[in-house]
Amino acid sequence: MPRWLDLLRLRARSFFRSTATDRSLRDELQTHIEEEIAEHLAAGITIAYARAAAMREFGPVARIEEECRDTRRVAFVHNLGRDLRYTLRSLRHQPLLVMAATVSIAVAVGANTTIFNLASELLFSTPSARDPERLVRIRMSGNSHASYREWHAMRESGALKDIAGYQIESEVNWRGPAESVSLIPLIVTANFFDVLGAPLAMGRGFTSGEAAVERHPDVAVISHGFWLKRLGGDRNIIGRAVVFNGRSYTVLGVLPAAFRAIPGYGVAPEVYLPLSRELMPDLDNPHAAVVELVGRLPDGQTMTQARAALAVAGRRIGAVFGDPHFGDVSQFTPAGGFGRMGDFKTVGAFFAALLVAVCLVLAIACANVAGLLLARSTVRRREIAVRVALGASRSRLIQQLLTEGLWLALFGTGAGLVLMFVLMNLIGRASLPLPLPLELHTEFDVRLALYSAAILILTTTFSALVPALQATRPSLVPALKQDEPRYAHRRWTLRGVLVIGQVAVALVLLLTAWLFVRNLTRASAADPGFNTTNTLVGQVSFVEGQYTPDTRAEFLRRAVERLKALPGIEQATYARGVPLTIRSGLRTGAELRLAEGGNPFQAQYEVNLVGPDYFSTIGIPVLKGREFRLADRGGAPVVAIVNEEFVRRYLAGVDPVGRHVLLPGAEHATYPAEIVGVVGNSRYRTIGETQQPAMYESFLQRGNRSRLVHILVRTRADAADMIRDVQQVLAQMDTSAAIDVQPMESALAFAFMPSRIGAALFGVLGALGLTLAMIGLYAVMSYAVSRRTAEIGIRVALGASRAAVLRLVLSDAALLSGAGIGLGLGIAALVTRPLAMFLVAGLSASDPVSFAGTALVVTVISLTAAWTPARRALRIDPVTALREE
Amino acid sequence: MGRPSDLIQGTLDLLILKTVALEPKHGWAIAKRIQQMSEDVLQITQGSLYPALHRLEQQGWIKAQAGRTPTGREAKFYTLTAAGRKQLARELEQWDRLSNAIGLVVREAE
Repeated sequence: MPRWLDLLRLRARSFFRSTATDRSLRDELQTHIEEEIAEHLAAGITIAYARAAAMREFGPVARIEEECRDTRRVAFVHNLGRDLRYTLRSLRHQPLLVMAATVSIAVAVGANTTIFNLASELLFSTPSARDPERLVRIRMSGNSHASYREWHAMRESGALKDIAGYQIESEVNWRGPAESVSLIPLIVTANFFDVLGAPLAMGRGFTSGEAAVERHPDVAVISHGFWLKRLGGDRNIIGRAVVFNGRSYTVLGVLPAAFRAIPGYGVAPEVYLPLSRELMPDLDNPHAAVVELVGRLPDGQTMTQARAALAVAGRRIGAVFGDPHFGDVSQFTPAGGFGRMGDFKTVGAFFAALLVAVCLVLAIACANVAGLLLARSTVRRREIAVRVALGASRSRLIQQLLTEGLWLALFGTGAGLVLMFVLMNLIGRASLPLPLPLELHTEFDVRLALYSAAILILTTTFSALVPALQATRPSLVPALKQDEPRYAHRRWTLRGVLVIGQVAVALVLLLTAWLFVRNLTRASAADPGFNTTNTLVGQVSFVEGQYTPDTRAEFLRRAVERLKALPGIEQATYARGVPLTIRSGLRTGAELRLAEGGNPFQAQYEVNLVGPDYFSTIGIPVLKGREFRLADRGGAPVVAIVNEEFVRRYLAGVDPVGRHVLLPGAEHATYPAEIVGVVGNSRYRTIGETQQPAMYESFLQRGNRSRLVHILVRTRADAADMIRDVQQVLAQMDTSAAIDVQPMESALAFAFMPSRIGAALFGVLGALGLTLAMIGLYAVMSYAVSRRTAEIGIRVALGASRAAVLRLVLSDAALLSGAGIGLGLGIAALVTRPLAMFLVAGLSASDPVSFAGTALVVTVISLTAAWTPARRALRIDPVTALREE
Repeated sequence: MGRPSDLIQGTLDLLILKTVALEPKHGWAIAKRIQQMSEDVLQITQGSLYPALHRLEQQGWIKAQAGRTPTGREAKFYTLTAAGRKQLARELEQWDRLSNAIGLVVREAE
């Protein structure tokens, strides 16, 4: 046997069979003594004397055992096991301490791991695929999407092992048993499942052969959610037909329940359909943005090598297509994990801010536990002094006290993880006003295990190390021999310092929360520039191929007519996009020029295609000229309407009405559009955005190819009462279209979601931090009052008034919280500055109102926390207090 | 008096290895043997003997086997391993060098 293997075996034996080794060690020493006695006896000495002599010669058995164990280097483990048992037994007699500490840590750890899990799941999850670390996201020359022919050429180039494409921006209508429902599919290139190697729960994915565009593919892979919720979990679904957009698709496979889709961010498309001309009529347009790219690295190649190869291929392809920039590989990042860090800025920063906040809450909780343990170690001074006198080393005692902290941290972290699973479940069920279905998969994976372990170690250290060092101070030992002085009152105790820290951190948290709440109220109160009350938004998605542009225009005209005929409806219209929703229209950048002369100008503006009476329906004032009419249809002169900001930025000094602007058309051609009106400014994408220029074009001239239309209805009374009527009218007119009618306020929920989520999350964390800190302050004040009972008794006996006693206690509390507030304000002034990126314009991160308000709230609540201990001090009876002496 | 603290560092290991090199011995016998051979000059206390034995065992230089003492008690008998034999040779060589060197210094000083 090689020597190292032998050594390993010996170490393992000492480690795992420590009881057996200990017993054999004891036996060995015993034999030695017996041999010694036998020798003495042989020399003719009495047995009692022989035993005593042998023992004397031998020395302290326990010490020798300990030394032998040390040579085996398992002393630490041995002691740890003993400490764990001992401290658990002693904690059993302290149910209140255990409960208080467990709850404190559990709440903080629950919040902490939930945020971590959300961040890791939403931002850094790894897509379900074979060897996902070999998958890369690719963007060429800054474009998020590639055209069909670009994808094809890149794939053919062989620069990577293979490249697949997908897009999540489309909708399809699924004909269900009761009604048509609009779904978000993932439309993927034929080779998608070949490239990803995604796992399937049932059946299989389609292959690049059978799903090729040329074969007009009619196969589908469905998600577990779609299978379960929409198809009732039919076990024999494979091979059955499902109808999307009026076309029948054969189901080839069902994805597993815990499937993480390729787009990331928790997005869970309901069905996977192969790319086809039926789904994307625009497929062959060389400029149409069709798919996002994901590629698989060639075996044995590094990211750098593959990227270089792709750049070479891209330049060659660009030369063929006449696009000199196509060789710029603008993104080449891992498809999952922390490699996605560069993909997002604001969202990542938001989660980083949240993680900092939850760690601060955890710090406050640890300080609470540390305070409890400090109080406990004062009670245990005698025990510790005795153990030191018996020869326990300081490190040994510290190890034992840390073990106590380890138990508390273990209880707290365990309970916190349970809390996390409950919270994640609740969050998963909460319906967010999102246009995409999201799914969160919570599982106890390696990442979470490591994070929890780190939290456990930090919690143990922060809550138990300071009390352990304090309790075992060498200078303490002589002083321990007598009682503590009963009348000495130290103001700046270690617990007091902890409380100051807690108050300071809680103030920072609360201030952050306050900023986010103020941000929300500002955002909600902000005027979007159009009327949000008494308005209904109906999203109608037609089945592809159902209408020609003319019949669609006719459908819309009749729909508006019939809606206007309903009692209670004032005005109705239609539009391509609805501002402040996910489909707010397009943002265009182009070089424009007035046909009447003047210099060309580069303009960046919002574009929406709207129907007649759009502005009177949505409540945007027409400042000059007119709004669109039914006559502004195909064939009639092209017209456009701009907003005030557009005029201010690009047409200053001219009367825009009646002028013609040259707009970019297909294939580098331009077409003139007459500006027939100027309307008021409004918000387009987010409520906090800076004012954007906008141009409206006539839906009947430009938009009647689109499959998706919004019907807008202005009602006389409460809009919610009219939802059913509107839905019915539209459904009667086209039974195959998917229709979803809701009040404008709820359609806009998406615009307010970031500020709402921010306010809710930071509000909860701020309240949590403040509560924990106040529990700490309360505990310290209660403890101080109980320690000063005799002192207060004497004061009262000597004639101190109730007010004087109250002042005595409250002034201590005020001193602690005052120091904490001062410190907190100082820290906050430094650390809240980066939060400005999440706040609406006009709200500063160093907003004085927020600072003053938070300081006031913390002051009031601190005095409330100190009030009960102060009342207890008032009730001290001098006679009883002094008799206890 | 040959208290272990007076022994030159590492000499105890050499003594133990040398003692068990001839035949397997248990702890008490090792101590006695060293005492006898040194004519009572070297008395190994148990407090240093057993930690040393365990350390040598952990190093893999000696190994323990169960056996019976002449008085009929169960005891752990230590034997030299192959690695221990090499170690003994190394330590002996080192000891020779050291004692020579000390001898040279001491005689020179006379």
